[in-house]
Amino acid sequence: MSTNRSLKLTLKVWRQAGPGAPGHFETHELDGLSEHMSFLEMLDVLNEKLVLEGGDPVVFDHDCREGICGSCGVVINGRAHGPDAETATCQLHMRRFKSGETIFIEPWRSEGFPVVRDLMVDRSAFDRIISAGGYVSTNTGSAPDGNAVPIPREDAEQAFDAAACIGCGACVAACPNGAAMLFVSAKVGHLAHLPQGQAERESRVLAMVRAMDAEGFGNCTNHYECSAACPKGISVENIALLNRDYLRASLLERG
Amino acid sequence: MVTWLQTFVRSSVGKKACMAISGLLLVGFLVAHLAGNLTLFLPDDGAAFDAYAQKLHDLGPLLYVAEVGLLALFVVHIAFAAWTTIGNRKARTSRYAVQPDHGERTVASSTMPITGLIVLLFLIVHLIHFRLDERFEQGPFDLVEGTLAGPIAALIYIVGVLALTLHLTHAIGSALQTLGVNHPRWSPLLRRAGVGLALILGLGFLSIPIYALIAWGGSN
Repeated sequence: MSTNRSLKLTLKVWRQAGPGAPGHFETHELDGLSEHMSFLEMLDVLNEKLVLEGGDPVVFDHDCREGICGSCGVVINGRAHGPDAETATCQLHMRRFKSGETIFIEPWRSEGFPVVRDLMVDRSAFDRIISAGGYVSTNTGSAPDGNAVPIPREDAEQAFDAAACIGCGACVAACPNGAAMLFVSAKVGHLAHLPQGQAERESRVLAMVRAMDAEGFGNCTNHYECSAACPKGISVENIALLNRDYLRASLLERG
Repeated sequence: MVTWLQTFVRSSVGKKACMAISGLLLVGFLVAHLAGNLTLFLPDDGAAFDAYAQKLHDLGPLLYVAEVGLLALFVVHIAFAAWTTIGNRKARTSRYAVQPDHGERTVASSTMPITGLIVLLFLIVHLIHFRLDERFEQGPFDLVEGTLAGPIAALIYIVGVLALTLHLTHAIGSALQTLGVNHPRWSPLLRRAGVGLALILGLGFLSIPIYALIAWGGSN
């Protein structure tokens, strides 16, 4: 292990009392931070300090802290999940920062994700989009035999790549239009590549786009910032697939 | 049918498909428009350009049909662009202190509404110059020469075409993605072809006011 470099940082943290309340940046100085800390551990240190001083800790979302649950996520110096590619906030380490640096920490900003408090946003819009069609309506029974349904390797790969989406919302946060297309297309694309997803392929894409539009997200203008911010590297190829499937399903829809 | 259309154009994907299709058809128009304009450069004192204008004029009622179609394309493209842009602004009312940049945004992609607006303003000036001016019918080439010899007019054309070029460098590839065209082998190629076509159109249209400034500038 390398030597333990100690960091001194100035944090500009977004504080907001509740949904719709006016927010502001609060400045905090932290000294003696280990470079081996994760970004969330650094926030834990800040909160301990705040509590000891009798202040309110900064509210932020987190759970697994190993990059697979999609709970965490803040915008760090203008980048969703911070400067590292394909890395969630929990797996970002403080060695990525220089001592003396000022770091702006902001919540995901989108009309579809109202701020609950400070850095925590309400992402239930994603749950409602999933409820609209991000599933396969079939009686699964007991676990089927592994190779009972043959799936070409290429299809399995593409389905898995799309299914890697953890629903963190970084795509929405990074999109200049606050669009949720990468998330929705990952969910649509995941099932569109599998035989089990075919029966509801058309009704699914129509229902999920409708649900997405109802949540107040913006429209995709193909900047591709979403994919660059995605901790799972979801490809915008999925967005083209969603567009293709939506146009086809919309044209062929009966009644 | 009406209900279907209402549902379709109100959906985010439907709106963008309308914008993409109308935009690509307008690119087709630009290719034809440029081909016609380049006859200006034939060394025949504008005879070929005048003949081209005359041929279009001789189409009679068909020309009006084409013009109405073209106007419809512009109206659809602009209306859906305005609609989606307003929606996008509403989708993020709270601004970031540090403007997010993950390295994929380009000057062209970030300025689409602005370059579109500049092109619209330029189009209005362009129509006043050459569509609504009755002198165009008497001598198209003479009117082009007379108009573009003025340095301010030439400058307006240069700015208009530059905005159009920047708009198109993002537009063509973006429209294809919106219509569902994306493949690991073909998309990088198509995106580059889109930028290439945008540059060809841009340089082609730019050549006219620049030539005008050099060859005709100061003549009146």
